[in-house]
Amino acid sequence: MSGPFERVGVRPLPPAPPQPRQRRGWPVCSAVILAAVVLVCLGSGLLPGGDPAYMDLQNCGVPPSARFWFGTDAMGRDVFAMIWAGGRVSLFIGAASAAASTAIGVAVGAAAGWAPGWVDGLLMRLTEILLSVPSLLLVVLLQAALGRPGPLSLALALGAVGWTGIAKVVRTEVRQMRRCGYIQAAKSMGGGFFYLLRRHMAPNFFPSILFMIVMNVRNAIAAEATLSFMGLGLPPETVTWGAMLSLAEKAALGGAWWAVLAPGIFLAAVLLSMTSLGERLRGRAGQGEGNL
Amino acid sequence: MKLGSWAVRTGKKLLALLFSLLALATAVFYISRLAPGDPLVAYYGQRAERLTPDQRAQAEERLGLNDPIWVQYARWWENALQGDFGISYKYKMDAAEVIASRAGNTLVLGGAGFALIFVLAPLLGALCAWREGGPLDRVLCRLGAAVSCIPEFWLSLVAILVFSAALGWLPSSGAYSVGGGGLGDRIAHLILPLGVVVAGHLWYYAYMVRSRVLEEARADYVLLAKAKGLGRGRVLLRHCLRCALPSYLSLMAVSVPHILGGTYVVEMVFSYPGLGTLAYESARYQDYNLLMLLCILSGGVVMCSGMAAQWISGRLDPRVRARDGEGAEP
Repeated sequence: MSGPFERVGVRPLPPAPPQPRQRRGWPVCSAVILAAVVLVCLGSGLLPGGDPAYMDLQNCGVPPSARFWFGTDAMGRDVFAMIWAGGRVSLFIGAASAAASTAIGVAVGAAAGWAPGWVDGLLMRLTEILLSVPSLLLVVLLQAALGRPGPLSLALALGAVGWTGIAKVVRTEVRQMRRCGYIQAAKSMGGGFFYLLRRHMAPNFFPSILFMIVMNVRNAIAAEATLSFMGLGLPPETVTWGAMLSLAEKAALGGAWWAVLAPGIFLAAVLLSMTSLGERLRGRAGQGEGNL
Repeated sequence: MKLGSWAVRTGKKLLALLFSLLALATAVFYISRLAPGDPLVAYYGQRAERLTPDQRAQAEERLGLNDPIWVQYARWWENALQGDFGISYKYKMDAAEVIASRAGNTLVLGGAGFALIFVLAPLLGALCAWREGGPLDRVLCRLGAAVSCIPEFWLSLVAILVFSAALGWLPSSGAYSVGGGGLGDRIAHLILPLGVVVAGHLWYYAYMVRSRVLEEARADYVLLAKAKGLGRGRVLLRHCLRCALPSYLSLMAVSVPHILGGTYVVEMVFSYPGLGTLAYESARYQDYNLLMLLCILSGGVVMCSGMAAQWISGRLDPRVRARDGEGAEP
């Protein structure tokens, strides 16, 4: 009876199986599509496509060909050139409205999180009211109130409607943070509210609202397209993806599929890429193996 | 004691609801009057441009448009409290009547859409969770994400292009053919708009169910259930899905404005005679009374469903109720 005791009834655990699916990487495909569309839109003046507003009356409603890659619309304009010109307006509206909604959302959220309870209650009630009206209707009214329709006023109207989600998140985060030691310390050393917001709070809540900012860009582009499509957005001479589609509605019944598909596919591709980028920024729950 | 506190809380909520509606009405009234545009165009159509200044002044006087805004607002409330919401400038009828004549169509489209989404979303979500990570799940996830972020109006356009223009299977606009038509005709007109409404929203909710169910699937009680010998399907449906339902129900109650807004857009593309087309017309042509009533109606429905959501999640999940009663600080 020499040697070590034999262990009975205990089996060493097998080494953990490798995780079948690691955390997903960056959606490279979406990023490339988005970057390409943004770059070409910004540099569209350099393309040989020609003037998007030029009406070639001899070539109205021509299907895609070697000369007109995406065909021409009912007024003889080159759809290929219009897409880039329209994309520039659409992307500008997305970016500007996300900037506006982020500014409003952070301001309201930080104020509600920092201020005493009754201010908080009032501000949150306000956001609830805002959330309760169908947002497109609100945008139409606001834009009308802002006066001359243009990309900037539409972007501001969209921003003024889309800030509620950001405000809610910022409020919760600020509320949790304000009791933390480092905030108290900074405050006791004489740091003002805006200093605290900039130096201590913003870096903390920024990652959680980054996802919402991307989604706001996306939502604004989609909303602009919808509004322009209905003829409620920008003045008719402004070329955007939505406006192109609104002209295409009649063309579709006549069988001019290219006028519907070309801008729509660009719109859908941009929205889809932004969504997958946003999802990646949010990070996802439910990692690991299910017990099912 | 318990009943009393319940009554107080409900009363508070009702008060908040009334206050919100009041704020909404005020905002809509002021913004719509301040916006540029000529309500006389809605009333007289093209003739409005040929009116002499004299006739114009008379018409404005008759419609009460030249008083200060707050006077108009006070008058609106005075009449509204007696059940008179003013006439629609475009239809020359009581605004309430115009809305009543159209509301049925929207109720059918929106209600059927909501019901379909409500039933299909848990099924689709559970199906994806059942096959988590498999090819079916991955294809459905990709497809769903793609469809749900395409704007509804484009989805409608493509549907018209394919099913009406190219194939000629279904009508492209309206709620019924000219000259009436039976139930079959109504249904044929409903298929495309309904399909777009459902397709546009379904994935958002199905994805939520999927991720909630998967979260539950990682809990320990699933291991226990499995150890007891329960089948996979039984665990998924009877345990995981059931735990995911409370948050699904409250999400669905909050989703009303979302689906309502989508219905409005789809109605416009298909020229479906419902409230959406009406709202669009009234906002575009400064039909003040109609716009006002529509906004208050939509807002009221949405706020009520928000309250219903709170109530439902309080009923189903005692933790929410406890938090609610405790009040203030989170």
